[in-house]
Amino acid sequence: MSAGIGLYAFSTEERDIHTPAHDFFPDLLRAAQNTDGGWGYRPGLPSTTEPTAWSLLALQALEASPGKILDSAADWLRQAQMTGGAWPNASGKEPGCWVSALACLALLSLKGPSQDAIVRGTNWLNETWPAEGNFLWRLRQQQQAHTVVHQDHGLRGWGWTPNTASWVEPTAYALILLQNIPTRHRPSHAVKRIQMAEKMLYDRACPGGGWNAGNPLVYGVPGVPRISPTVWALLALRHHQDHAVNVEGVEWLRQRYQSLRSPASLALAHLCLKVYGRAENLLETRLGDFYGNNQFLQSIPAMAWASMALGGVPCWIESSSQSIEAI
Amino acid sequence: MSYSNTRLVPPFNRSPSAVAIRSVSNYAADVEGILWEMLQELRPPVRDKSVLLKPNFVEPDTEGMINTHPVVIRAAREAFLRLGAKSVVVAEGPGHERDTEGILEELRLRDYLGPLEQSFIDLNTDEVAQVGTRTRASRLKSLFLPKAVLAADFVVSMPKMKTHHWVGVTLALKNMFGIVPGSCYGWPKNVLHWAGISKSILDINSTVRPDFAIVDGIVGMEGNGPIQGTPKASGVLVAGDDPVSVDATCARLMGLVPERIDYLQRAALLLGNMPEEKIEQLGESIASTRKPFEMLPAFQQIRA
Repeated sequence: MSAGIGLYAFSTEERDIHTPAHDFFPDLLRAAQNTDGGWGYRPGLPSTTEPTAWSLLALQALEASPGKILDSAADWLRQAQMTGGAWPNASGKEPGCWVSALACLALLSLKGPSQDAIVRGTNWLNETWPAEGNFLWRLRQQQQAHTVVHQDHGLRGWGWTPNTASWVEPTAYALILLQNIPTRHRPSHAVKRIQMAEKMLYDRACPGGGWNAGNPLVYGVPGVPRISPTVWALLALRHHQDHAVNVEGVEWLRQRYQSLRSPASLALAHLCLKVYGRAENLLETRLGDFYGNNQFLQSIPAMAWASMALGGVPCWIESSSQSIEAI
Repeated sequence: MSYSNTRLVPPFNRSPSAVAIRSVSNYAADVEGILWEMLQELRPPVRDKSVLLKPNFVEPDTEGMINTHPVVIRAAREAFLRLGAKSVVVAEGPGHERDTEGILEELRLRDYLGPLEQSFIDLNTDEVAQVGTRTRASRLKSLFLPKAVLAADFVVSMPKMKTHHWVGVTLALKNMFGIVPGSCYGWPKNVLHWAGISKSILDINSTVRPDFAIVDGIVGMEGNGPIQGTPKASGVLVAGDDPVSVDATCARLMGLVPERIDYLQRAALLLGNMPEEKIEQLGESIASTRKPFEMLPAFQQIRA
């Protein structure tokens, strides 16, 4: 086993201009790390997988992050992994698909003895299918008198949790992970799952651009797109930037950008637009204003996304990234 | 304390419930004064208790028909404090939208409640504890629930009066889906859908029974609810200490037959009163405030 799969080369191109905001949010994150190495959803809450993964992804990209912060976070993630390879959601007991993808991605971003954990996590994700779309499910659907949602249920991605339906965000996270896993470490059938997940995301796009949680048409009425699913779908489909659905989604996001009122949406939208070469300005000022409003509701993921948005484009979502071999 | 503290009482052994209805023409009216009068009549026992208000926040909404209006939330907070509550917090875990702060800011909740980091708890990301469900209608045998809810002395469900494309209507009982945290179940909380929405509603409400309900029916939603319908100016506030009675009353105000709504039927077995003769109507009458809602074709059979 090597010292790690080695996704080391996070971009530093845009970090030459340091302002207080560039340090402020990472400092908040560092200060909020629990003594066990992980992070809770808010400072002082027990460590759980998702905020730990986001914090690690955000801080890893900063040269100023002491190694012991990153090492202890990686240790926490490795120890939190469940026997079957998944990571638990905030319950600490039940597996979550989205948190498993994020934990793998976070460990993948670090040097260290995480290869086994990443491979087991990726294999678990690859073998975890959503509950819809199988034969019995389709039979039941046909027997129902009316159809509420209109989408191709044969296209399956990932649910938030096992044994539930495919949704946009967990599918996007898993897709980004599989795209970044070196070919030699990809589980069998990973290519098939990548292709199907991409088709699923395109199938779930809202008419007119963007994505919502995953129901683009309900009783024939077009769904209203939302920032977070749109961002993650666009990032997962970043290799197809000229695709009409991508173009529509980016345009919808760009139009919404100036009217956003919250740090999480603003940071994510900024990150996505940057990947698509459409970055908007005034991010720091607006994040500062938002912090003054509600202190981000103390949300650790929001602080992590703000840190990422203020830095360079992480290599795991660079438009050119295919897998570790291509970096 | 709301969790597991209320006996499950069969219908034949229950005393009547009281439900108050008051007309409120719009959100610029004296909502605070009207709600205070309603609560003075109903006298919820909140002295020295920690009160948790659970509104219905789903998605940003420019037309004011999806989410509980901040005017009603502020009015409830002030009224419970006047009644002697030790503390009042607002807490919600939106089901579709991960950016809770985005919803709150679109709603301008801060303008009504002040800085939200002190007055609001995001139930999607609160610390959780595993609790066994008190009923086993669904396959869920236990739930991971936010400690903020489990620790509250008095939980108030504050839904919007809306139709729902899966279960007919969403009111005080369905609103309790929002206490189930996204950090465990995702956005949406799809586990509950797969376990059966009606059955999950019963299991959640038997486990954390709301002590009180205040329904914002000033502007509700009809048709393809709970997010894609059209505004319905019902012009009412409805409140009571029995969420089943409150929901049954709201259904009647919406021109529906509560006995034909699956989850209400289930809830009436163990959680509260549904028959009109078991509900003491305070304030205005159902007949004088009823405004039938448009329903999707799939739910025509629940209309009166």
